[in-house]
Amino acid sequence: MHIPDSFLPPRVCLLGYALTGLGTWYSLHRIRLETNPTEQIPKASLLTAGFFVASLIHIPLPPSSIHLVFNGLMGIMLGYYAFPAILIGLFFQAVMFQHGGLTTLGVNGVIMGFPALFAYYFFRFGQRFTQDKSPWWQSFFVFLAGGGALAISALIFTLVILSFIPADFDVQTEQTIALIALIGYGIQAVIEGIFTVMFITFIQRVKPELLNNRNLRQDKQRNEAINQS
Amino acid sequence: MKKWHYLLLSLTLVYLGAINKTWAHGVRLQYKLQQAIQIHAIYDDGQPMQEAQVIVYAPNDPTTPWLTGTTNQEGKFIFTPDLSQEGNWDVTVRQAGHGNMVSIPLVKADDADSTPIVASESSNMAYTPLQKALMAIMGVWGFVGTALFFSRRKTDS
Repeated sequence: MHIPDSFLPPRVCLLGYALTGLGTWYSLHRIRLETNPTEQIPKASLLTAGFFVASLIHIPLPPSSIHLVFNGLMGIMLGYYAFPAILIGLFFQAVMFQHGGLTTLGVNGVIMGFPALFAYYFFRFGQRFTQDKSPWWQSFFVFLAGGGALAISALIFTLVILSFIPADFDVQTEQTIALIALIGYGIQAVIEGIFTVMFITFIQRVKPELLNNRNLRQDKQRNEAINQS
Repeated sequence: MKKWHYLLLSLTLVYLGAINKTWAHGVRLQYKLQQAIQIHAIYDDGQPMQEAQVIVYAPNDPTTPWLTGTTNQEGKFIFTPDLSQEGNWDVTVRQAGHGNMVSIPLVKADDADSTPIVASESSNMAYTPLQKALMAIMGVWGFVGTALFFSRRKTDS
């Protein structure tokens, strides 16, 4: 799901950088509003290491293979820290293993970063929605958050590569193969959703304080009180 | 033989002589040793890129495809560049949004009369599993170091 160099026109790369810059600015802005911004950095750093290594692990899925992304898991665990963490992970993947390009770093950040934030928001919504319900409902929302993030990433990736196929290539062939690849990404989304449920369930049982348990509304109220004082 | 027989025969010979194709029944085969370039496209997990689209761009016109084709079942594509064109021959391989581009330098040898050669005979950009593991460990250690730094105990100073 990493777009290499020379696959997109320059204007799309610039737009990707603009959107990623906007996402990074907003994430850092929300991080700065926290009472202790550096408190979550060790967790973010370790999860970034996991994200960085995950692209090297290939799971055979006939007829080809997949590598796990875990952007949904990062969003659930890190919240706003997930966006810059994913961007850093993508940068190191591009520089060290040429997995994705540097000119397309912005676009790849959009593909994987924004769905991570979606996973965070959906997870928080699920926590509020399933407060008085059985744990299965919580697991279901975690599955949707984890797998949904990957599914959204796959959709954005497919949309981008199909929208900007160079005229020199056979468009029909590329479209056919890309749509077939979507089926593989769908299976991967289910796998990542299941893994996210297992991981989050384990964390909730062993060390629930690792999860980003702060309520967005509480953060907003506290910050408004600080600004007024 | 009657006169009209001669006329018919003459007309037939004239007609056959006017059509060049009648002289093409004979076939000649010629062979010549050429310098070819083989592109081998594989995914980073070792799987070949089968039936991937290949586009070759010549040095004198890097925006117009010089040759197009597809890789075979082993992910290989062979082509013979125009040896009169010195410079970088760019080859792009693409499949479902994945792919890469390689630049193949074609230069003249020191002897001006000799045939141009590829400056580097092969280009193997793949890392061995050990190299990849070492690079991954270095990267992970950097992230672990960052985590340890920010989780250090604050000391009163």
